Amino acid sequence: MISYHPDSRYLTDFATANLPLAEAVCVSAHLEFCGKCRAHVQQLTDVGGHMFARLQPEAVSEDSFAALMARVSAGAQEQAPVVTVQTPREELDETTQSHVFLPRAVRRLVSGSLDKLRWVQLGKALRVAPLQVSDESRDTAIYDIRAGGRMPEHEHRGEEITVLLQGSFSDADGSYSRGDFVVRHAGESHQPTATMDKDCICLVCLERPVRPRGLLYRLLEPLVNYRLQRLNRSVA
Amino acid sequence: MTSSDDSTAGSLRKALAGAGPLGAPDPWEAAIRKVAQHQDRAEFKKLFDHYAPMIKAFLSKGISSYADRSLAEEMTQEVMLKVWNKADSFNPAKASVNTWIFTIARNTRIDFIRRNGRADRTIDIEDIWHEADSPEPVVELQQRRVETMIRNAMATLPEEQALVLEKAFMESKSHNEIAEELALPLGTVKSRIRLALSKLQILIDR
Repeated sequence: MISYHPDSRYLTDFATANLPLAEAVCVSAHLEFCGKCRAHVQQLTDVGGHMFARLQPEAVSEDSFAALMARVSAGAQEQAPVVTVQTPREELDETTQSHVFLPRAVRRLVSGSLDKLRWVQLGKALRVAPLQVSDESRDTAIYDIRAGGRMPEHEHRGEEITVLLQGSFSDADGSYSRGDFVVRHAGESHQPTATMDKDCICLVCLERPVRPRGLLYRLLEPLVNYRLQRLNRSVA
Repeated sequence: MTSSDDSTAGSLRKALAGAGPLGAPDPWEAAIRKVAQHQDRAEFKKLFDHYAPMIKAFLSKGISSYADRSLAEEMTQEVMLKVWNKADSFNPAKASVNTWIFTIARNTRIDFIRRNGRADRTIDIEDIWHEADSPEPVVELQQRRVETMIRNAMATLPEEQALVLEKAFMESKSHNEIAEELALPLGTVKSRIRLALSKLQILIDR
C-alpha cells in the first residue's frame, strides 16, 4: 500500500516535462508503482493536449512537408532495425534471494544490474552506489540499507527525494514501504532504520549531500564525498 | 451542463477537442490508423497541415526569445517524423490524438534542450516520460479522460489561474520559473495551479 505520493507541483512539472532530470527519474519510478498518480499524470497530460489544440497556429514554411517526406523516403531505405536493449524487469537480490522490481528509468541508469554498480560501503548497515544523471543540481544514488540496519542520524542541507524500490524503513515520522515517494526538506533530520525482514533498496536524489550529525560521520563526510566524486568521475 | 455546444464553433471544436468516451469521435484517429496500417501519405498530409502549425506554435512558446526561431521549424519536422514512425503505437484508449501529439512535441522539446546542453546521454527521455508498462493498473478516477470537463471548465477559470496554467503547459515553465517570472511566492503559484486543476476535476491530494 503506497502512502506517500509526489505533490501537485511534482506531478504538474513532470507532466509538462519541466522537472529537472534527477527529480523526473524519481517521479517516473514512483509512477510505475502507483496507478493513482499515473492516472493524475494522464489527466494533466490531457490538459496539455487540450490547450495545445487551442493554440494560435503558426504557419510552417511551404517546403516543410516535402522536406519531411524526403526524409521519410530516405529513412525507409537506410533505417536499421531499432535494437532495444532488453534488461530484465526484475533481478535476483543475492543476499536476500528475492526479486527486485526495477522501474524502467532505474533499469536504464543501473545498466541492468544492481550488482554491477560501484558500491561504496559506508559503515556496516549502508552501501551507496552513485548513478550518472546529467543534472547538476542533484546527486542521484541507490542506497542499500541492510535488513534491520540503522543509518547514521543526519540532517538535510537540501531537499531529498527517496523512492523505495524494495523493503521498508521507518524513522520518527513514519514508516515507508515499496513505491513510496518520500520528500525531506532542508533542515529536517532523521535516522532511518530498515525493517528486519529484508534489505531496503532506495532510489535517492539529493539536492546536496546530507550532513551526518555524529562527529565520526562529520569527520568522514569529506572522505565520503571525495570517494563519491572520484567514482562519479571514473564512471563518466 | 453542456452549455453552447451547438454554436457555430461546434464543428471546429469537435475537430479540435479530441474524442473521449464522453465526446464526439475524434476525426484524426482514423488518419493516424491509415498512416500506421498503409503508410498513407495523403492522410499524413492532412495531419501535417492540421498539426504542424500547432506544434510550431507550441515549440515557439517554449523556446526563449534569444534562440533562433528557425529551431521551431526544424523541431516541428522532427515531431511530425515521429508521428509518422510511431503511428502504430498510438492507442486511442489511452489518449486523444491531441494529447498524443502534445506528448511527442513535449518530449522532443526536452530532448532537444538536453542534447544541446550535454553530449553524454546516460538515459533517454523516453526512459523517463513513457507510458509505464507497470504491473500496477491505472486507477480509474472519476474522470479519467477529462476533455469534456476541461472544455467546459477552462472558460470559467479566473484570469490568474488560466495564466499559470498557460505558463506551465504551453510556455513549458516549472513552478519555480513561474514564481520567479510573476514575482510570486512558490506556494502561491502551487495553490493557484492546484485550484485551477481542481476546477477541471483533477483532484490531487497535496
